[in-house]
Amino acid sequence: MNVLFPATVEAALEALCAEPDAHVMAGGTDLLVRCRAEQNRPETLVCLEKVADLAGFEISDGRIRIGAATSMTAVLENAAVRERLPLLHGAAKVFASPLVRNMATLGGNVCTASPAADMLPPLYALGAEVELRSLSGVRTMPVNDFIVGPGQMALAPGELLSAIIIPIPEGRTIQYFEKVGRRKALAISVVSLAALLRVEDGVIAEARLAWGSVGPMVIRCPEAEALLKGRSLTLGALREAGEKVRDTVSPISDVRASAEYRRQVAANLLLRLAQISGAH
Amino acid sequence: MIISFVLDGEARTLEVDGGARAVDILRESCGVTAPKEGCGTGECGACTVLVDGVPRLSCLMLAAQLDGRAVITAQGLASDGPHPVQEALADLGGVQCGYCTPGIAVTAAEFLERHPDPTREEIREALSGNLCRCTGYHKIVDAVEDAAKRLGSGCGRDE
Amino acid sequence: MPSVQTIGSRSRRFDAMDKACGRERFASDEYPEGMLWAGALRAGVPHGVIRGMDTARAKAMPGVVAVLTAEDVPGENRQGFIHWDMPVLCGDKVRHAGDAVALVVAETREVLSEALASIILDIESLPVVDGLDAALAPDAPRVHDLETGNILKEATLRKGDACEALTHCAVIVEETFFTPQQAHCFLETENGTARMDEDGTLHMTVSTQAPFRDRFEIGRALGLPPNRLHLTAPYLGGGFGGKDGATVQCLLALAAMHAGGRPVKMWWSREESLLAGYKRHAARMHFRLGAEADGTLTALVCDLDYDTGAYAHLGVEIMALGLEHASGPYRVEHLEANGRCVYTNNPVAGAFRGFGVAQVCFAFEGVMDRLAAKLDMDPLELRAKNALRPGDRNGVGVGMISSTGMKECLAGLRGHPFWQSRDQWVREAPPLTRRGVGIAAVHNGMGYGRGLADSAVAKVRLTEEGRFRVYNSVSDMGQGNSPTFVQMACEILQQDESLMELVQPDTERSHPSGSSSAGRTTYTYGNALIKACEAMRDKLLHRAAMVLMVDDASVLELVPGAVRHAVTGQELPLAALVGMLHPDDRFCIGEAMMPVTQDVPEGGEAFRLGFPHLIFPYAAHLARVEVDELTGNVSVSDYVAFTDGGRVLNPQNFEQQVQGAVAQGLGYALWEDCFAEGGRLLTTDLSNYVIPGAGDLPDIESHAVETEEQSGPFGMKGIGEVGMNGPLPAVASALLRMGLPMTRAPFTPERILAAFDGDNS
Repeated sequence: MNVLFPATVEAALEALCAEPDAHVMAGGTDLLVRCRAEQNRPETLVCLEKVADLAGFEISDGRIRIGAATSMTAVLENAAVRERLPLLHGAAKVFASPLVRNMATLGGNVCTASPAADMLPPLYALGAEVELRSLSGVRTMPVNDFIVGPGQMALAPGELLSAIIIPIPEGRTIQYFEKVGRRKALAISVVSLAALLRVEDGVIAEARLAWGSVGPMVIRCPEAEALLKGRSLTLGALREAGEKVRDTVSPISDVRASAEYRRQVAANLLLRLAQISGAH
Repeated sequence: MIISFVLDGEARTLEVDGGARAVDILRESCGVTAPKEGCGTGECGACTVLVDGVPRLSCLMLAAQLDGRAVITAQGLASDGPHPVQEALADLGGVQCGYCTPGIAVTAAEFLERHPDPTREEIREALSGNLCRCTGYHKIVDAVEDAAKRLGSGCGRDE
Repeated sequence: MPSVQTIGSRSRRFDAMDKACGRERFASDEYPEGMLWAGALRAGVPHGVIRGMDTARAKAMPGVVAVLTAEDVPGENRQGFIHWDMPVLCGDKVRHAGDAVALVVAETREVLSEALASIILDIESLPVVDGLDAALAPDAPRVHDLETGNILKEATLRKGDACEALTHCAVIVEETFFTPQQAHCFLETENGTARMDEDGTLHMTVSTQAPFRDRFEIGRALGLPPNRLHLTAPYLGGGFGGKDGATVQCLLALAAMHAGGRPVKMWWSREESLLAGYKRHAARMHFRLGAEADGTLTALVCDLDYDTGAYAHLGVEIMALGLEHASGPYRVEHLEANGRCVYTNNPVAGAFRGFGVAQVCFAFEGVMDRLAAKLDMDPLELRAKNALRPGDRNGVGVGMISSTGMKECLAGLRGHPFWQSRDQWVREAPPLTRRGVGIAAVHNGMGYGRGLADSAVAKVRLTEEGRFRVYNSVSDMGQGNSPTFVQMACEILQQDESLMELVQPDTERSHPSGSSSAGRTTYTYGNALIKACEAMRDKLLHRAAMVLMVDDASVLELVPGAVRHAVTGQELPLAALVGMLHPDDRFCIGEAMMPVTQDVPEGGEAFRLGFPHLIFPYAAHLARVEVDELTGNVSVSDYVAFTDGGRVLNPQNFEQQVQGAVAQGLGYALWEDCFAEGGRLLTTDLSNYVIPGAGDLPDIESHAVETEEQSGPFGMKGIGEVGMNGPLPAVASALLRMGLPMTRAPFTPERILAAFDGDNS
């Protein structure tokens, strides 16, 4: 196997052009596990760990730009993320294990394009954009347009995910992330909920809700969001929204849980929001 | 490809298949068997080593990624005598079959550098990527708590 | 300053520091010069007939040394050590997806995996027997060609007339319970190295719980004389029963026979371990328990079905222990226990800590809780009222003439703040959370039981340097038997541990002492070692008397590194004394055998081996449990165990055994399940076979209830297993008290939510 260690984004992009079949490896915690399971070894790997300008945080104009190859440990420990994007911080906190977080990257998790990827529901709820670089330039698009199917991304040949750009929510928000897994750490999500609520004068002005592991991709539920808008945050309102969620999600049954369990819990998790906000 | 790195303080240069796993290179080519393999998929943490001071899973690293790095295993951690974490693990019963212990020792040693006075909950969280099938973790947590005291009271290796 | 490590003191284990520093070498750490890799091709199909196998491509591959199939197996091609029904390599039929059908020996791991992948296997699938119901159906396909269908063994134990007695009971409770297959998940997967000498001697280093017995199992399977098999068993990276019986041994030996004298290594991946390794038997248990109105237990009728998977392994013996323990640590006058051990196409079930007992504890404690509820009695007092006392006869009629501390364990729980404050704790549950406090009383027979000669032969040597070397000959899989042996030797020989050496089992250096299992390791070998050390002490004092010219050896004593005259203080260094001893005279051997009972109930003669038991450790456990109402997630907030293990030799080691067993027991209660569909395992690795991590378990409080086991070394009895049996029933008990009557383990969030739905409150 040929492993390349470009030092710059340009060099990485050139390597991808030169070797169209090359796989990109960031932290390797997903890629190498899949190679083992599928018993295949890519001919060429382009390893991003030495590309300096792919990692790090930039905070400006009401947004936080996180380099795609930023480790999950760095995401978890970043003060701006903790203070301004508690939703993302909350997901990073329960991401795999400390050891995996030292290696895995935010961009890598996005590029699994898995409905069970812990970081995706928060990014959907936050309205994050991805920044894509190629030798011909840079483009951005909303993360929900980037993910086009399970394991599939709108990534052109020779293109690289270079950053995730997250707008900082305005006003007073409730941001809550919960992952239901089979254990505390190293859990693959059975259901996850990322909720971002803007509450003004006790009334929900905006609700953005995204679920993981209850469909082929991350699922938003506009009906539930619309239902909550203009109401106060009560168990009753959340229960009604939950009914919409049950109809929207399309989970499967697997070794971790049945579809019915996932459907029920996807709705149930909304009720936690009442507890978080102290409402009844 | 040829890689050069420092393993437990000793410079190594060897020719490897770039796709070989770091854990195999360390154990087979370098003869340092402190990193153990328990799963091969990053779930158990038995293969943990410090790479440039950061705990990483050597089963999910390629040998090529070691090039230019400094690697410390549980053996290297004990090169000037057991690290206080290793002492505490042994003294307080944190060791049973001992197969997970080298990974736990390096994970805990690095954790204590950043968190000199941790709570039991913080210790459990820090070790949540290191599975142990023998102890139930209670005494491992005891040991890391105790090691923090040993390090804090100046009984550490720097004295 | 040297100190004598005394019995009863809390002290660091002899093996701990080398392990903590990564210096200890496990079997998997061996990479002998010039070695080859061996690997097995697995059937991949749970039930089928092998129509053909094309190995031509593999054989032609550069770097492939040998490709072997059933035809190349020279012996009986049958593994097992009580029942021999498991082929080393299947030739005609496969009975579970992990069956080995071909063996490849290659220069590198890469070539090995390519060669294995290149073998074309033609298996015609047969209908799959995927569980007990399928196996017991009237027209079920047969896993083995038995007249009894898929029933490997059926037996009934009878004491009194339980069916008749039930008709007179004031109250009867009835329930059916289910437990899953559980994987051992030792962190060091099955592995070993082997090399065949020019003279035909096979040298093997294996992660095994039974190196001495392995010689016979390998020898029989491969047609080799057992005395040409030389096994060493370094410290194991965990065992728990899963390395009791051949794992890699026969395959590895076969590979070494075709390696031209080169060493061969075989190391199962985690995935292979989960697929092909032994598991705890899944069980279905129907219980009917009858009592008088005051809670006195009268009669138990139970039907136990154990799924032994594709091969027998120790299935019959495991079922026997289930029947033996079915009535719990209680006085029950009438018992009828019916058992069936059944073949299926599931992974092979075998020995696992709590051997057959962990299953029935769920059932008997489950019916005890239901009885307490029905009688409106306190569940702890109901247990205490019926708990076995010294002199009682247990469920199968064996007289409790050994230490019996069940009541004392329960008394410990009764006084514990967590029990005293249980109602308040439940009342203070946070929103969306239900709380419950559960308890369980359990026991676990120690030793092999009748008919298997639970014996050990210990050896201790005075080395040329004047140090003592203990030759452990029962594998140390982490339980700490061997450091305890050092502690015993230090005590008797009055030495500091710095003067001790410890050798792990080696069939050429130490003597047969049975397997590392059944809570017997420290007990049986320890009794033998006491004799060996006492003989050594007497020998040295007498020899020293000659050198020091004293007439009476009783004025001499051993001190660290020397023999000392108690009055004059004159010392003779052991390094000097050893020179006076002929090399053949520098060791002592001691032998011991565990006592057995001759009290055998009606039906017990069905089990010639391993039944019944005489000595039991006991335990009473408490769990404080919380359930999240939104997700059904169960978490154990606090855990307490009171354990009667006789005298405690080292509190640290005692607590390790309790805490580790409780952790595995909580895994069994909440997470672990080898989940298969149609005989195909879906829990293929540690991402979906969940064992608890550091964040999933509470602190586990352990209290010793010290009794004196007269027959045991320094008054101890083995507690390796009993702690495994409490958590599942204790958690179930807590759940029952919060309105969740769980009958199927593990208690997954999904099952809990379903139980909420069945609960109208």
